[in-house]
Amino acid sequence: MSNSAGASNKEEELARLIEACAARDRHALRQIYDLMASQMLASMMRILRRRALAEEALQEVFVSIWQRAAQFQGTRGPARIWLLAIARHRAIDVLRSERMELYREADIESLPQSTVEGMGDWSSAGRSAAALERCFEELSGDQRRGIELAFVNGYSHADVARVTGEPLGTIKSWIRRGLASLRACLER
Amino acid sequence: MKHDQPQLIDALASEYVLGTLRGAARGRFERWMAAEWHVASRVRAWEVRLMPLALRLPPLEPSAAVWPKIEARIAAEAPRMARRRPALRALAAALALCALFVGVYVVWQLTQPPSLQPIATIENKQGPALWSIELDATQQRLRAVALAGAVPRPGHSFELWALPSNKGAPVSLGVLPEAGQLEHKLSDAQRAALSGAAQLAVSLEPPGGSPTGAPTGPVLYVAPLKTHA
Repeated sequence: MSNSAGASNKEEELARLIEACAARDRHALRQIYDLMASQMLASMMRILRRRALAEEALQEVFVSIWQRAAQFQGTRGPARIWLLAIARHRAIDVLRSERMELYREADIESLPQSTVEGMGDWSSAGRSAAALERCFEELSGDQRRGIELAFVNGYSHADVARVTGEPLGTIKSWIRRGLASLRACLER
Repeated sequence: MKHDQPQLIDALASEYVLGTLRGAARGRFERWMAAEWHVASRVRAWEVRLMPLALRLPPLEPSAAVWPKIEARIAAEAPRMARRRPALRALAAALALCALFVGVYVVWQLTQPPSLQPIATIENKQGPALWSIELDATQQRLRAVALAGAVPRPGHSFELWALPSNKGAPVSLGVLPEAGQLEHKLSDAQRAALSGAAQLAVSLEPPGGSPTGAPTGPVLYVAPLKTHA
């Protein structure tokens, strides 16, 4: 079985499970958890940095999936992305609290790295990532770094400026232009 | 801020998905997204574009304690969710019960003699009252009850009239009993006259009542109508 067939099967399975959740099937939620929780936690952990905090947010995410399952069909989007997006937005919402921002500022001071460490290679993201990988290659190193730090680590513009030592305006410009280039490339 | 430029919407959507749209702007954008389908669709598109980045991260297994907590939350949630439908069922049952009560009440009302309310008392200036005039709630039936003051006059009948407030012609409501009570169903004309009347009158008529449809003898008594529903 090819990679894309496997991914498409997983996609269909997840979509079916989300619909089962909408029909109040608790076993389906557990299956989604088995299929996706580790991927979601990885993403949330990078943003929240504390395991207890990330796992608490993960609980919220699954309660939210259970409550919002009926809305999934209306999005007409891929199931895996819908699930990951809920996880990421939740993590960023947790960060939004002022207390967390303060905590993170202290934390980031102690993080010297200005690159995204510990990333798997693109193949681990599946074939759906092939186009993004190709387009990422076309970005300048600065643009790519800015987007990765923001997306993967959940850094704000100011956080990226702090760890790279670049002015805030420069960072905003890197990211804005990088996103525009990505979009132009992905639509080619 | 002008929100109708596609490029601006797309730029905001991309920074929202990236996570760099923060603070109050993030909340504002989420409300906008919830309200406008085309804004939400831009966000979906950016999620599809960027999410492979999140999939590059090595998976991280949650601790064993996480799932039981989710399960407990869902179970606590379940009665609340489950209550919705039973709530609807309970509402339906309550409505059915109400309908049943109403039905039973209506049937009971129909099979019961209608309850009559006094609408006027015919009195002499002195002495005991002569008649009590009663009407049912639906104004279908009129009953006249002879009271202690009602004294028969041989060779005559007492006739009851509705006196229209607009000074129109009196309308007969029938002959009054000399003893006991008389009850009869009102005609449409009588019902209309009664509802437009402020007073009742009693005239002295030949036996069996006025032959002309209008009072022919003297008006002996006039009584105000009590306001009735």
